[in-house]
Amino acid sequence: MIHSSSTAELADDLATASAPRKRSFWRALLASPSGLIGLVIVAVLIFAALTAPVIAPYDPLRMAAGPRLDAPSTSYLMGTDDFGRDVLSRIIYGARLTLQIGVIAVGISLSCGLLLGLVAGYSSGWTERVLMRLVDVLFSFTEIVIALACLAIFGVGLTNAMIAIGIASIPFYARVTHSVVLVEKGKPYFEAAVAAGAGHLRLIFLHLLPNVVPTLIVIGTLGVSTAILAAAGLSFLGLGAQPPQPEWGFMLSSSRDLISRAPWMMIFPGLAIATTVLGFNLLGDGIREALDPRQTDR
Amino acid sequence: MTPDTDAPLLSVRDLTISFGKGRHRNVAVKDLSYDLRAGETLAIVGESGSGKSVSSMALLGLLPRGAATIEAGTARFDGRDLLHLSDEQLRGIRGDRVTMIFQEPMTSLTPVLRIGQQLTEALIEHKGMSRSQAAARGREMLTLVGLDDAPRRMKQFPHELSGGMRQRVMIAMAMASDPAILLADEPTTALDVTVQAQILDLMRDLKARFGTSIILITHDMGVVAEMADRVVVMRKGRKIEEGTVREIFETPQQDYTKALLAAVPRLGAHAAAAEPRQVVDGPSRPGARLLHTHGMSKTFRERGLFAAKAGGTAAMQDVGFDLAAGETLALVGESGSGKSTTGRAVLRLLELDQGVIEIGGTDMRRLSGGAVRKARREMQMIFQDPFASLNPRLSAGRLVAEPMVIHGLAKGRELQDRTEQLFTRVGLEADHMRRFPHEFSGGQRQRLSIARALSVNPKLIVADEPTSALDVSVQAQVLELMLELQQSLGLAYLFISHDMAVVEEVAHRVAVMRRGRIVEIGPRQAVLNDPRHPYTRALLAAVPVPDLTRTRGTLPTLDASTLPTGPLTEIAPQHMVAS
Amino acid sequence: MGKFILQRLLAALVTIWIATIAVTILIHLVPGDPVRIMYGSFQTTPEELEAIRVRLGLDQPIWTQYLMYLERLVQGDLGRSIVGDQPVLDVLLTRFPATLALTVSSLAIAIVVGMSLGFLAAYKRGTWVDVGAMVLAIVGVSMPHFWLGLLLLFLFALQLQWLPVAGGDWRSLLLPALTLGLANAAVLARLTRSAMIDIFDQDFIRTARAKGLPRSIVLYRHALRSGLVPVVSMLGLQFAYLMGGAIVIENVFAWNGVGRLAIEAVLSRDYPLIQGFILFFATVVALASVVIDIAYAFLDPRIRYS
Repeated sequence: MIHSSSTAELADDLATASAPRKRSFWRALLASPSGLIGLVIVAVLIFAALTAPVIAPYDPLRMAAGPRLDAPSTSYLMGTDDFGRDVLSRIIYGARLTLQIGVIAVGISLSCGLLLGLVAGYSSGWTERVLMRLVDVLFSFTEIVIALACLAIFGVGLTNAMIAIGIASIPFYARVTHSVVLVEKGKPYFEAAVAAGAGHLRLIFLHLLPNVVPTLIVIGTLGVSTAILAAAGLSFLGLGAQPPQPEWGFMLSSSRDLISRAPWMMIFPGLAIATTVLGFNLLGDGIREALDPRQTDR
Repeated sequence: MTPDTDAPLLSVRDLTISFGKGRHRNVAVKDLSYDLRAGETLAIVGESGSGKSVSSMALLGLLPRGAATIEAGTARFDGRDLLHLSDEQLRGIRGDRVTMIFQEPMTSLTPVLRIGQQLTEALIEHKGMSRSQAAARGREMLTLVGLDDAPRRMKQFPHELSGGMRQRVMIAMAMASDPAILLADEPTTALDVTVQAQILDLMRDLKARFGTSIILITHDMGVVAEMADRVVVMRKGRKIEEGTVREIFETPQQDYTKALLAAVPRLGAHAAAAEPRQVVDGPSRPGARLLHTHGMSKTFRERGLFAAKAGGTAAMQDVGFDLAAGETLALVGESGSGKSTTGRAVLRLLELDQGVIEIGGTDMRRLSGGAVRKARREMQMIFQDPFASLNPRLSAGRLVAEPMVIHGLAKGRELQDRTEQLFTRVGLEADHMRRFPHEFSGGQRQRLSIARALSVNPKLIVADEPTSALDVSVQAQVLELMLELQQSLGLAYLFISHDMAVVEEVAHRVAVMRRGRIVEIGPRQAVLNDPRHPYTRALLAAVPVPDLTRTRGTLPTLDASTLPTGPLTEIAPQHMVAS
Repeated sequence: MGKFILQRLLAALVTIWIATIAVTILIHLVPGDPVRIMYGSFQTTPEELEAIRVRLGLDQPIWTQYLMYLERLVQGDLGRSIVGDQPVLDVLLTRFPATLALTVSSLAIAIVVGMSLGFLAAYKRGTWVDVGAMVLAIVGVSMPHFWLGLLLLFLFALQLQWLPVAGGDWRSLLLPALTLGLANAAVLARLTRSAMIDIFDQDFIRTARAKGLPRSIVLYRHALRSGLVPVVSMLGLQFAYLMGGAIVIENVFAWNGVGRLAIEAVLSRDYPLIQGFILFFATVVALASVVIDIAYAFLDPRIRYS
């Protein structure tokens, strides 16, 4: 059902369509306080993840690198844990795992959810109703239950946890995509494109998708926060990262029985999670603000 | 009311209001001055952006506090300056001595509170009435504004009333305290024309009964002619002209006022013409039959739990008409008449339950998906909302070129050339091809839509309220463009509108629709000058005419149950009426 | 309104029904032989494994299995857990009240703290109150709730010793409820604020002000009352999230609810218990949603009187 326009033409169209206000978007993003702070935090995270081997003072897995349960000092800036490992190094290496989690989990849920929501929203009729009914039911199970179910089936571990979280969030992204697609489909410009004779591919890729993507970028960024929190939670429960991985949630669970003796074991990993998640939340809010004002004009 | 009836009731001087701060702030109103006398109706007229609403909201302190600043000016009422009162003092006057009604009745009442409560709370607050006293006054007002069974209405919620009824409630609320001044901001713009006429009559009655002064904000010169004693014309925040309604209509002084009056379509101005006026030399005239439709019906069914339910709203019932090449058939009706649905059905943008659609001999309903898309080359559509009908993410050039790309009519250099030609054809600059929709004005966007529709050389264009969202001066230009294109290219238009005066400008033939049926159809002179169906008569009688010499007759009362809605019978050549 | 409630009830029943299907399919998604995974460590002979397989109906085609499951379900038989060989339903019901207590008290705290903060922020929009409240909220949303729990545990139970570390009475409910409640309050604060800002921008608020009504009446009678409608509709989702959050928090505070059970079940691959838990959870959330929907129907006259 491909139309007279070749795919090359379509690609050309797409490129120009998304070119527009890149300059003013970045300016707007940097101008908003939340966007700026969020961007900085995320940049620091990425930097730490990429340069971990260089900037971490000790090997995160090396036990007895220092005295056990040593309070923060100049040689061990965040103290040591119950195995004598340097907490700071573990936190820095943990950034890698955190980034992995965020990207993979959101990657899975966004792509599958987008596809589902797009198909459902565009098809309407029976397909839409059945698909969305199913999505709604899965959504009502809540993400944690779906994740638990996945882990129950395939076993525990960090990789499985990432995939489980990815799968568990698909209904959410499907619902958001579906509702945005419905909104855009209802707008006159969509009808105008149909009236002009546009075929399915053109309608989806040239008209719907470019107007759906901005919302998804915002949701995706915020979704990274949710994924990181979820993975940390599962690791905390012993269902995600396994020893000796320096995953922040797992580090928190090992700190539980030692809170009074070594509070730094609890404080720093939690702070790392909170700061990272805050960064993505602020970035998401900032992107939303930067994308918004474009539409309100006369 | 002031004892000295010569002194004005309200005296506004040098009012200046701006939005935003600093050098790039938007000065919405500049140095506005006018007087309002006791018992008179002052109309403040202007197009969008004229500052008419903003200036009135400022009087009651209703402007958003952070965004708007009243830079200068005074507004003397009752010996005090409204603009320099404390919040508490102003609140005491609001809703009591000076009341206001707004444009959108559907959203202006609180949905979770009963009508009775909303009606009485201002009375209890300002006049210190008890609940029962206020309720009695409330019922009295509801009856006065023409609502039946007042006690029942008091207990109802807003969603149980129609738009016209809600506006009556708003009027009741505003008049209950017997205010000295009523501010009415476009009170009838969102209503159907027959309802509008009733509301305007109501406002005149109440004014006569209570002696209230009214400041009427509007863009509709017909409403001005009907209601106003004096007129203030505003443009871009400044007062252009002021005078009695007679002076403004008969001897306008300023160029802008003259242009405004000239641009307003008047029903009856073209009564003598058998076809729309000619704008090109040697215009092409209506030719062979292009479109034939018959028996079109469509019911929108409600979604039941598992399947569509029986019943539902009949959007179209047994609709049929012909359209010749180069001709304009106007589909006229109020909301819910099915005119928009019909337009979409003809283009197969929605599927009929039954009916025949033939374009150039091809049965449209039999065509498969791919064939329909090809057929779309012959017929295009222009939409009502100039802002939302263009994809905000595509450049203007790309949008105009899109139909050509879809149908493979041109590529590369040739495509570019043809797009440039289209831009100039509709009066836009070819340089603007790279701009995006939000960088154009409303009228320019509508021209873009027209250029886009023209790009594939269609034979038929369905225009769904193409000028309703535009200012009057812009509307005139767009209509002129459409006439010019029709007469030079031989285009056929299916012109959907609710505005009789606009229809009179452009149509060869007129079809009147009500509740999904055509009740009258015929040549323009027949339908507009000699309407036979009671509904058509009521519709024509309700239109406010911007002409002081012609008063609108009394509205014929319509009894919905006795309106003939049967099949069309021919009562004169080409003139059909529902029997 | 009756039609609305009926629709919601039907939707809840469909959810529960699909949960039963999902739960039945679950076992078959496990790579390998589920019976061996479940009972393999118990020194069972192949004959005993086969007997278990028959008992669980796993040798039958999936349709029959499903019907068997439904049949047992209606009689209240959710199977027996592998660890401890207890009837699943009994185990769930014994531990459920603890989780319910935690969820409901957290919801109460979240509503009181979160909604008030949200209303206040919306009313004082743009001022320092608003900015401060929203900074607090976004920090709260970003914090892992189990970390908050550990911090509170550290502060109140260990350092200050005001509250017990674990236990079963109301005093030991306080910390977990506070943790979950405050974490969710941050979410509610943001949602409430944006809903109320939408309301404040509506035409009918302008009408109320134009009538010269005192600010308190405009706020409480018109804005707040109208704002309750969208805000209550969000509570159903929040209840589900709280139940999910309880699973983790119960672990932090050693609170003996269904959540702890679920984690142990996943770790030990106790499938009957996992199945029972999922079904139970879905049912509770679905029913709670119906209750909240009924409240919503009462608040919105457009639904109540249609």
